[in-house]
Amino acid sequence: MIQIKEFNYQPSEHETETASSSYLMSLIAIIVGVPLPIVNLIATLIFYLGNRKSTYFVRWHCMQALLSQLSMLFINSYAFWWTVSLIFKDETITSNYIAYIIVALVFNLTEFITTIYTAIQTRKGIHVEWWFYGTLTNIICKEKL
Amino acid sequence: MKKIIIQGTITVFLFFGSWYTIKQIDWVKIFRVEKVADKTAQKLGDFLWKTIKNTEEENKNSHVVKTIESIVTQICKSNKIERKSIKIHVINKDEINAFALPNGHLIVYSGLILNSDNQEELIGVICHEIAHIELHHVMKKLVKEIGLSALISMTTGGSGSEIIKETARMLSSSAFDRSLEKEADIKAVDYLISAKINPEPFANFLYKLSDEEHAAAAYFKWISTHPDSRERAAYIIEYSKTKSTTYESMLSIETWEKVIEELREY
Repeated sequence: MIQIKEFNYQPSEHETETASSSYLMSLIAIIVGVPLPIVNLIATLIFYLGNRKSTYFVRWHCMQALLSQLSMLFINSYAFWWTVSLIFKDETITSNYIAYIIVALVFNLTEFITTIYTAIQTRKGIHVEWWFYGTLTNIICKEKL
Repeated sequence: MKKIIIQGTITVFLFFGSWYTIKQIDWVKIFRVEKVADKTAQKLGDFLWKTIKNTEEENKNSHVVKTIESIVTQICKSNKIERKSIKIHVINKDEINAFALPNGHLIVYSGLILNSDNQEELIGVICHEIAHIELHHVMKKLVKEIGLSALISMTTGGSGSEIIKETARMLSSSAFDRSLEKEADIKAVDYLISAKINPEPFANFLYKLSDEEHAAAAYFKWISTHPDSRERAAYIIEYSKTKSTTYESMLSIETWEKVIEELREY
């Protein structure tokens, strides 16, 4: 799922701190983000925009954090609105709904643990690339601005 | 690029695959969703009925009660509804009203019976309320208006009697969503036709009550909680046209007249 890779250069102390914070941003927002998944995305997006002219290492990790939040937004929004429609509309709890919530929880938990792990590793200056998101970030985020 | 497409596809497949696999398990049964909901409805319905019973006067006249019960029994029989699931109560009150509580309690005010021009009108309203019960509208409305946590706290004795009284008041004096009302109307017509009762008087009842000039307009609680009566009457007529059959009377004229007579005495 995650791979530790050699980065092009050794990032400075300041860079590792900022890159690590980009992951922490999504964790801090989790309290608000559970009922309103868009908040997580906005938090990481603001952080990315603030650092879009920063060094390659910082930009790369901000982008990976942002992309991972983007897909979680779809999963969580669907779960959120499905739950709302159960409460306010003419729908009942089905095995289909419970199964979706379980899968969404597992994906969220995996993302949560991976985020904490990555935040710690990044702080140490270790470059962590996630499955799919890392590859995607490599395509989107270029070394030269 | 190829790598990312493969990884993306696998991730999406992993998500939907695990969703599909997990949903094969009967989670509703495992989490006892229905059992919990049924138990809450059961306790709540009994609580609410007790509150109404303590504040209003229940009609205990054996002829009236037996006649109304026989109507419900026949509707249930013709529509394969479990008779025990409907608990009918007649309350002595001038208001023209009938409403359903959770757990199948159906309250009919004497004012409604006295203001029905014929038995079919009353049977129509009863069918409409039974439809609300059978379609689980009552609990849905309560969850929407009050919230599940408040309802559960009511059944565990966590709320004061004022909240329970307020809930009973809300159920007796406010409407369901327009879509739920329509659903109950259509279902009521189905019930009536299965029981060989002409649905037209039910529609006429709505027309009659939508007329504000009517002498008893001030007591039309049921109609004020059921808006757009003309529109409803129209689609009831329209729908019943497609289901024409031969109609019969459920009660004999003597039985119906005796009920009216007995109720007038109160």
